Amino acid sequence: MKTRYLRQLAVAAALTVGGAGVAAADCPVKVGVALPTSVDWGKPIAETALWVTDMINEAGGVDGCPVETILRDTQVDAKVGVDAAKAMVDLDKVQLMMGAVSSGVTLPILTSVTVPAGVMQISCCSSSTRITGLAEEGSTKGLWFRTFATSNVQSAVLTKLAKDAGYGKVTVFYKNDDWGQDMASLLDNALKASGVEVAASIAITDNQPSYRAEVTEALGGNPDAVILALYPKEGIAVTREWISLGGTTKMVGANSLRSEEFRDAVGMQYLGDFIGADTSSPRTASASAFVEAYKAKFGGEPSGPGLPNSFDAAAISLLAYHAAGKDATGAEIAAKVPMVTDPSGVPVDANVEGFKKAMALLSEGKPVSFQGGTGAVTFDANGDVSAPAVSWVFTESGIDEKQYIPLEEVNAFIQSLN
Amino acid sequence: MIGVISYLAFFGTVAAILAIAVLGLNLQWGNTGLFNGGVAAFFGAGAYGAMMLGGPADPQQLGGFALPYPIAFAGGIGLAALVAWAVGLLTLRLRHDYLAIATFGVAVALEAVARNAEWLTGGAKGMRGFPRPFEGLFADQFTYNLAFLGFVVIILIAVYAGLERLVRSPYGRVLRAIREDEVAARALGKNATRLRLEAFVLGSAIIGVAGVLYVSFYAFISPQDMAPILTFQIWAMLIVGGAGNNRGAVLGAFLIWGAWTSSGFLLSKFAPTAVQIYTGPIQYIMIGSVIVGMLLWRPQGLLPERIERTKTGNEAPGENASQG
Amino acid sequence: MIQNLMDGILTGSIISLGAIGLTMVMHMLRFANFAYAELLAIGAYAALVFDRLFAALVPLTDQTFGGLSLTWSLTLATLAAMAVTGASAVLIDWAIFKRIREKADALSMVFASFGVALIIRNVITLIFGLKAELYSNDIAFAMVLSRDPLLLIKPDQIFVLAAALVLMAIFHLVLSRTTFGFALRAVAENPALAQVAGVPLARMVIVVWLIGGAFSAAAGVFYALTNHLSPLIGHNFLLPVFAATIVGGIGSVYGALLGGFIVGTASGLALQIMPSGYIPAMPFLIILAVLLVRPHGLFGEPQT
Repeated sequence: MKTRYLRQLAVAAALTVGGAGVAAADCPVKVGVALPTSVDWGKPIAETALWVTDMINEAGGVDGCPVETILRDTQVDAKVGVDAAKAMVDLDKVQLMMGAVSSGVTLPILTSVTVPAGVMQISCCSSSTRITGLAEEGSTKGLWFRTFATSNVQSAVLTKLAKDAGYGKVTVFYKNDDWGQDMASLLDNALKASGVEVAASIAITDNQPSYRAEVTEALGGNPDAVILALYPKEGIAVTREWISLGGTTKMVGANSLRSEEFRDAVGMQYLGDFIGADTSSPRTASASAFVEAYKAKFGGEPSGPGLPNSFDAAAISLLAYHAAGKDATGAEIAAKVPMVTDPSGVPVDANVEGFKKAMALLSEGKPVSFQGGTGAVTFDANGDVSAPAVSWVFTESGIDEKQYIPLEEVNAFIQSLN
Repeated sequence: MIGVISYLAFFGTVAAILAIAVLGLNLQWGNTGLFNGGVAAFFGAGAYGAMMLGGPADPQQLGGFALPYPIAFAGGIGLAALVAWAVGLLTLRLRHDYLAIATFGVAVALEAVARNAEWLTGGAKGMRGFPRPFEGLFADQFTYNLAFLGFVVIILIAVYAGLERLVRSPYGRVLRAIREDEVAARALGKNATRLRLEAFVLGSAIIGVAGVLYVSFYAFISPQDMAPILTFQIWAMLIVGGAGNNRGAVLGAFLIWGAWTSSGFLLSKFAPTAVQIYTGPIQYIMIGSVIVGMLLWRPQGLLPERIERTKTGNEAPGENASQG
Repeated sequence: MIQNLMDGILTGSIISLGAIGLTMVMHMLRFANFAYAELLAIGAYAALVFDRLFAALVPLTDQTFGGLSLTWSLTLATLAAMAVTGASAVLIDWAIFKRIREKADALSMVFASFGVALIIRNVITLIFGLKAELYSNDIAFAMVLSRDPLLLIKPDQIFVLAAALVLMAIFHLVLSRTTFGFALRAVAENPALAQVAGVPLARMVIVVWLIGGAFSAAAGVFYALTNHLSPLIGHNFLLPVFAATIVGGIGSVYGALLGGFIVGTASGLALQIMPSGYIPAMPFLIILAVLLVRPHGLFGEPQT
């Protein structure tokens, strides 16, 4: 331990100003993880990311080097998150940063830490359209990726599902944070544009003693169905209240509700008509590798917002790191991301075997198509995930994907709304 | 080495910004005895005020006038002072704990406005793209950060020096007199209500300065930056450093912010992986314990208030005064 | 509108229970205790543990009664939780607040209470995790009281309101009919004078913490019964409970009761005049409105 730190210190001391390619050449490869582990939905996201690094290490590590993750809690406080990221970039010389979750933390990390330092940043769970704007300006320098669909895509898919189900009038419950507000205004436009009446759009603020007033308000609108853009905790509170007051069980939910916690707390008997939206593509044969592996590891279905996304963010970025080599800079890693997500590449699965195969191929310079928790992921020029959509339902034994909506169809639908 | 310097400059900048806020609170609490439970509100007012005036235009909302930095700077301070003036008029006649809760409520209400009034504040996703001052003058980020640290430290020193002069002046003595015994101060013909309001507005304006510097540094502000935890952090700094002592306030800011960040750093370095996932709650427990422990063993803070003997020597006993 | 009013009264009964203890503690110990609301969380989680324990030991008790989602085991668990929470309140006071009281002033206590709240909340998080827990996964359906206007009420809500009122009534009888009650009121209203009159202050402080803890535990369980458990329960109730206390006037038990109902109904009706995102600020607006008219609350006396 001591010698390692002395060595790090020596390495740090040897580094010179302003250099590209200053990454420490020593093993292990250090990777920063800045996630809100002190928040209910943050902890499992972080667990998933750490689990991926374990699997990558089992598969041989990045470029033969074991990966060492440095996990820091952002506390959903921009000051704390940015400081943590800065410490990881400056002191530990990470070239790859995973995180954060809420855009209020992700955005300042991106603009004041990772982009200026040339570090690649990949987020499992930030959906804000503000970041797309930043990328369009060129301010992210191609260092930014996210595996969570933008609110734009999410709201379009929810609208499509509601419309296809024949609901003429809906009420929207949305989480009163950056993601939820974005969703609410986009949903409002999308629903109206496709001829679905919005009876009410109701903000659900975190951590309130009671949501009864909000639910009562929604009940008055007498909608055919409700659209839930909520996280499991408020989702459970609102949905239970809604059902107990006699609200309709016709519900359309965002991918954040794709969780066993939600299913168990609300109860299957009320979730028969529930349709969920997510961004994912049909998997290759071995496909639910992620789900299977997750069950084996944690003894339950991946449950909670952003878990498959967190898995994919970690896996894709680490495979890209492998392809770029252990001494790569953030920009070099980012440049290898398309090689990992090449639709024409060899499909590889989301488990240790798959990682081994992927690493061997990448080392030979051959592209692969990573089949992750959310399917075969690809990114557009802004680092946003280009995502085909899927609808899913709850079943007694878990969660089943019902209908895949190809990327072209999603895009065509988004076009038709404008 | 560069990495260490770069990080320390960054850390120092944030700590110095927070230290300015602690100095503002010290004027209110340490010197005048006003329990401001809504520090985050004035910090946020400063930051949002500067952002609205100096930030880039955004078609979806009011504000974003892209005015020059000095105007944005003054505007942020002005908004913080204005909010403080209104709040002060309404609440300053309340006794301590009512005042604490009323101002705590102000922070909750302002956070709700920042979170919900999308046309004004951008809502929960915040506002971004504040043009960082003098950025064009520097070749790279590293030197810019060092220069910005210098800029913040200069302002910190200016605020510190100004407050030191103020508290040593007759005006400062009157403020302390009001803190110790308002009735006696009134009996001497001092307009306590007005003086309390002045101290409250001035202190909040200083907290607003910290908010302006914060948004200048991060170029981004969102409702998350004005959560109640900020109020807690600033208070922790003042209590640990020593209320009533400006040097203590600055020391407290650097110590607490150092402890806050290094506890996360150390946990990530030395805690076993299985424990790492729990570092969030553990860190909060450690922080809470430091505060409680400090109050148990050294309630006057690391650097207690120094009561200067005046000619008569009849002032309040140091023991009481140091509780400030 | 009527529905909101009714729901507000039900939420108000929970807030009232939380505020009764707080108003006494605040008045006697002269500090705003930001850790007080965490007692609700301690109570709710203690009941969860006891409930599981009793149901496992004596499976018969795991049965609901009278259309409620309440089981016998949970009823027993609630009583046990009230005792445990009262004891925790005394313990926390002994370990921390009493010591600080001895060497520092009330405002150090206010600040210490922030720290204590942080510790309690995160210890609960470490033990139970952050996910929402439920006493029972079943959803209790509301009964339709009237169709036009639509009025709905859940059996659990009626039970909670009744139970809260019973607790308050018992407390009222104790306060107004027993020597012990007189002593308690005397201490709450003027600690110094009561001490002169021979009321043992130290012992009364313990009693007040016990009562406050027990009532908070009941409030926590009632809340969790009609909603769900989370380590943030205490944090969520902080502002409403404070608002109820201040609106009623610090030190006035009856004021706290009324204050709870005022805050509950006002928050329930708030949606009529403002978008839902602003509701968290409602308790504060009530505090401000009341303090502007009556700087010491509805029933409070200027404190010396």
